[in-house]
Parts: sequence; C-alpha cells; structure tokens
Amino acid sequence: MKAKKILSLGIAATMVMSMPLAVNAEDTNILDVTLGEDYTDLTADLKFVTHRTDLVDTVFADYIAEFQKMYPNITITYEGITNYADDIMTRMSTGDWGDIAMIPTAIDKDELPSYFEPFGEKTVLEEKYTMLNNFTYEGITYGLPSVGNAQGIVYNKKVFDEAGITELPKTPDEFLDALQVIKDNTSAIPMYTNFAAGWTMSAWDAYIGGSATGDPDFMNDGLVHGDDPFTKNDDMTGPYAVYYVLYEAVARGLTEDDPTTTDWEGSKGMINSGEIGTMVLGSWAVTQMQEAGPNPDDIGYMTFPITVDGKQYATAGPDYNYGINANSSDENKLAAKLYIKFLMEQSNFAFDQGGIPTVVGAEYPDIYAAFDGIELVVDNPAKEGEENLFTDVNNDSEIGLNVSPDDKSLIVEEAISGGRSLDDIMADWNERWTAAQENAGIK
Amino acid sequence: MGETRKRNCFVKWISSGKVNKRLCIVTFMFFPLLLLLVFTYIPFFKMFQFSFYDMKYIGSREFVGFENYINVFKRDDCFRALALCGYYIVASFIQLGLALYFASVLSFKVKGGGIFKGLMFFPFLVCGIAVGFVFKFFYTRGFVLDTVLQWIGFELDNLPYWLRDSSINNASLAASSIWRYMGQNMVLFIGAIMSVDSSLYEAAAIDGATGWHKFRYIIFPSIKTIIVLNMILSITGSLSVFEPPYVITGGSFGTSTYFVIMNKLAHENQKVGLASAMAIVLLLIILLATAAQKLGFKYFFGDGEEEAIRTRRKREKARREQA
Repeated sequence: MKAKKILSLGIAATMVMSMPLAVNAEDTNILDVTLGEDYTDLTADLKFVTHRTDLVDTVFADYIAEFQKMYPNITITYEGITNYADDIMTRMSTGDWGDIAMIPTAIDKDELPSYFEPFGEKTVLEEKYTMLNNFTYEGITYGLPSVGNAQGIVYNKKVFDEAGITELPKTPDEFLDALQVIKDNTSAIPMYTNFAAGWTMSAWDAYIGGSATGDPDFMNDGLVHGDDPFTKNDDMTGPYAVYYVLYEAVARGLTEDDPTTTDWEGSKGMINSGEIGTMVLGSWAVTQMQEAGPNPDDIGYMTFPITVDGKQYATAGPDYNYGINANSSDENKLAAKLYIKFLMEQSNFAFDQGGIPTVVGAEYPDIYAAFDGIELVVDNPAKEGEENLFTDVNNDSEIGLNVSPDDKSLIVEEAISGGRSLDDIMADWNERWTAAQENAGIK
Repeated sequence: MGETRKRNCFVKWISSGKVNKRLCIVTFMFFPLLLLLVFTYIPFFKMFQFSFYDMKYIGSREFVGFENYINVFKRDDCFRALALCGYYIVASFIQLGLALYFASVLSFKVKGGGIFKGLMFFPFLVCGIAVGFVFKFFYTRGFVLDTVLQWIGFELDNLPYWLRDSSINNASLAASSIWRYMGQNMVLFIGAIMSVDSSLYEAAAIDGATGWHKFRYIIFPSIKTIIVLNMILSITGSLSVFEPPYVITGGSFGTSTYFVIMNKLAHENQKVGLASAMAIVLLLIILLATAAQKLGFKYFFGDGEEEAIRTRRKREKARREQA
C-alpha cells in the first residue's frame, strides 16, 4: 500500500517536473506581454488563413522571418484564399481551419464566442487599439483590426488639372459635372466602375453610412430601424445620394464603354497613367494605384462628394480583423496572440498599406492629408440585444449591403438600358428592406 | 488429425474460385463505393436535410418543414432563370449536330485526322474557369472577336456588345459552352462509330449507297444509344449551367442562371436552406426531363436493339388496314 503511494507520488512528481512551460492562453492579456521577452521558448505551429493572396510570398514571408528572430520555435504557414469571403464561411463550419483567420464580415455577433478566442475586454484593449466595435460582443473583443480604411474616391490629379477642375466637388451634382468636364476636355474615362470584378460594386455600400449622413449610428440604428431608408432626401444626403452618383454617371455615359469586360488589375495601371479620372474605392486602394505605374504622385484621394449641413464626412472603419480559432490548442492560441501583437505593433502593416492606424496615437500615411478638416466617422456598435439585427435584415432582404454586388450591378444595368429609374429601384429596395424588418420583428 | 482436415478445408475453400471471385468483387468495389458514398451520397443527404431548415453556414438552425420549397415556387427569379436554359439547350443541339458531323467525317481516313481530333478535343481539357477568362477577353469590345469580324468587313460601330447587350449575351455565353463540349461529344461518337463493322460500308457501297445513306442507315442506328446518352448529358448540363455565366459575366445583364442565383443565395445572403431546396427542385426537374427524353426517344427511334414504338404502331396500323 505504502509502496504504491510512494510510487504514485514519484510519478506525479516527475510528471510535474517534466511538464512544459505552463501555458494558459485565456489569462494572457495581449497588452501585458512584451514581445521578444515573454514566452520566447514557446513551440507552436500556426496556420494563418488570409484574403491577401498577393502578399503571402512577399510581405508576409518577411514578417515571419522577423518574428522568428524573437520566437524561433513558432512556425507560421500562410494560406491565401482567393474567394475569401465565401469560402471562409464554409471552412469555419468545420472548426478545423487553422489558428488565425481574418474574421468573415457575414458572421453573426452572437456566434463570435463559439468560433473565436476572446482578446479581452474592449474597455481595456481600447487603451492601445482603435476601431474595436465590429467584433465586440457583450463587452468582449474577439477581433483586432489589421488595417483601418477611410472611404473616399481615388482620382488622378493630372487628369483633373488637364480638365481644368481647380476645386474638388462637394456634392453629387458637382461631382457629376466634374466628370462631364473630364469627358469633354480630356481623353480619360471620367469614372471607372470596375463592374466585372463584382466586389467593386458592393464597395459602394461602404459610403451610405458615415460619408452620406455623418451619423455614426446610421448603419446599426438609422438603417435598421428607419422607415424606407433608401428614399431620396432633398438635400442629397443618405444612401440614395450615393447610388444617384453611380446611376447618373453610367446613364450620362461618364463611365467605361463596356462594363462587362473591365479588368481590375489593368485598371490600376490605367489610373496611374491618366487614362482614368476617378475610381470609387476605399483608402486601401491608393497604395496599389500608386505602385501600379511610373506616376505615384498623380494619384490623389478625396472625400465622397456629399455635404451634410455644410460639412463633409468620411466613413472610416476597420478592414478585416484578426481572429484566433477558439478550438486551437493553448500553445497555439498564445503563439497566435504573440504574432498578432507583432503584426499590430511592430510590423508596420497598417502604415505600409496606406491604412488608418489601428494602434492609438500612431502616424497617418500621407494620403490622408486631403482629409484635413473632414470628420472621420466610425460606426457605433449596435445596442445590446440588437447585435444581429443588421445582418439579419441585410441577408433576409437579399440587398446584401457590403456583401453582395448583384443589386448594385443592377443599378448599372438599368442605367445603361434605360430601364427602371433610380427611384423605382430604390422603391423596390425599400419594399424588400421593410419586409425583412417585419420578419425580424422590428416593425 | 481433425486440425489438419479443417485446415485443408480452409485452404481448399480459400483457394477455390468462389472466394477469389468474391474477394475480387469486394476489393474492387470497395474504393469506388467508398468515394461515391463519401463525396456524393452523404453530402447529398446532408443537403436534403438542410433544405428543411432555416439556416446559415454557421450558427443555429431552425426546422421549418416545407417553407423553403414553398419559397422556391413563390419567388419569381428562380423559374425565370430556368428559361435561360433554353439558350443552352438550343446550343446543345447545335453542339451535338456538329459533333456528329465531325465524328462521321473523322471516323474515316482523312488527311490530318488525328490533328483535327486533337484540336477539337483540346478545349474540353481546359479547366472551366480558364475557359471563362479566355472568353471574357474574346468578347471584350475591340478585342479578338471584334478584330476578326472587322477583318472580314464589319464596322465596329455596327457590332453589338457581346456581353452587355441582353438580346445577345446569353447566346454568346452558350457559344462558349459549345466550343468547350463539342470535342468531348465528338470523341464519344467516334468511339461508337469505330465499333461498327466496316464490312457493312463495303456492302452498302456495292449497293450504291451515298455518304448520307451510309450515315442514315448504318451509322445512326448503330450509335443510337450513345446519341441518347449524349443528349441526356447535354440537356441536364444545360439545366444546371453555371461556369460560363458565373465566370464571364457574374450573372449580370440578365445572364443569371438558376445555379448562379442559388450560389448567390447560399454564399452571399447565407440562405443555405433555401438554396438547398432549390437544388432539390432542380434535381427533380432534371429527373423529369431525363425521363421525358428517354420516353420520347423510345417512341421515335427505339431503344437499343428494340424497334421504335412509332414504327411498330405504323406497321400494325398498316397490317390492320390490309386486313
């Protein structure tokens, strides 16, 4: 009996002594860790699924090399997924997709805890990081933004000069007039829609909140609860004004000749060389347009031409967020936190990509100079208990704001064929939106 | 003693042809059946199950009975999209006609026959997505197709926008699928024609048969089965066409087929249950179409060695009239 006890004690002791460094990812706050000093002998094998297929072998490979100088035993494998937004949802349903992902935007807020590891309380994290609203549920943050974006319009300064536009347009009609001047005075395509790429059409939805209303509560409150939110406002603000620019530009022949065969990669070089006047894209696109040819200095960035009570606003918000798989092992979760901390604080990723900084007090890239005096609007989170409402109404109505290009493509199609007017299209959206609001129990 | 007898028995049993035969059957069947089960039947039953739920890819599910099916029939876009299949069905008849023509020509000795066969079969080997990109550039304003048409005297201003103009864009897309699948049909036809006894042609030639006669009375009856098969495959393919509209136009300008809508509902709007119900409805439609086709063919041309019902009836009628 005694012998047995001693034996078991001995076994227990050896087990304790040989146990690896005790790791408890849950208690490890990402803010308290010092990179390069804590957990440097941690061993882990991370898989990182990303939408940036263009950076996997270049920029990200450099980051891994730099990170491994501090953490030689952590290996990281990137997997780039081309059709990311769709594929990641299917992959997530299996639970076994890797350790770090860019959190899909279509996910319901109340699902976050079952799929992603919490980073901590939002109030604590806010001391260091910005734009945490999108993936915070019941006060706990599950995603940290990789880059911040502001929504505006990429334009070619030289084309504007040639056309004789000295002052940037501030209202939808001024903008359309400016496009007309470009068409009359230069050989450039005034506005390139990049229609065929698809996602470039749903990119228009990014402007209907902050840029078009100046109201940080619009997306999660005004739009979700409002009556017929797509109706025309007399002062040309709100969602209608955004789609008015698209519809009218196409209807007046101020866009490319044949939208079905546009080429996204080619369009970067075209705006760089002055063959395109403007493209309606987030600030993330600026760097890519600058690097696409010999004239980086010609590329400028301006706010979306909507003025609310004499003031201009720009929607700002996080791009994809980093999230850690809730099903990963403790070692992997901790290693993932370390790597994300590195990406956020030391890699300079947000700055290099021309994004709004995700770390409090960090420097803004030069392109935001044009945004001086313009207020950046970050969407407020939904009220407690209403976290899923926007997604529910959005999916149920099938308008697919920020998700699906179809209904926005339809605006272009109708403008070309001269079929339905924008008022008719918006009336149809209002009808579907209201029906979905009723299904969700809002009305 | 008993032991050895038993072992002898076992050895005998194992080495008897019976066991080998069964063993062969089991081992040969195991992997195909396993693959079929894992990658076809299990996903299918899962999808069937999904079609009764209100669900997203991730998150909770709610059983809703037949609501999804009712919605499929209530929506006007689903069945309007099925009408687009008409373009592809017409295209598939053109495709089969061309394939049959080339197959009958290339089955006989032709100069450079091998090269022609290879060139025509080649598009089938290219992945569908790549074909989509090829045709996107092919149809781009002022690119390949327009250039060629300008060489032969067309004015660019008179040419339509191949993918934008909704009166022609579905035909443009269907044409790309003819290009892709014609070669495959042709190879199947050549295979069938090769199996025809060549002495029949000689006999026919002695009787003074022309090329058309040879085709009508020798080739056509011998390859009936393969024609039926190709037709069924083409028509079911037309009902579920996805790649050309998805890759080339993304379903814009009125080219959104049933599958493209299904894909949009499932992936962009997260209505997985509804999309699954759409898939089941399409399956039923395809089954019906196939059955109708088989019956129709049986009536007009007969099945395999059997005579066509129509000819039999005609004969009976003639006999009755004589009597």
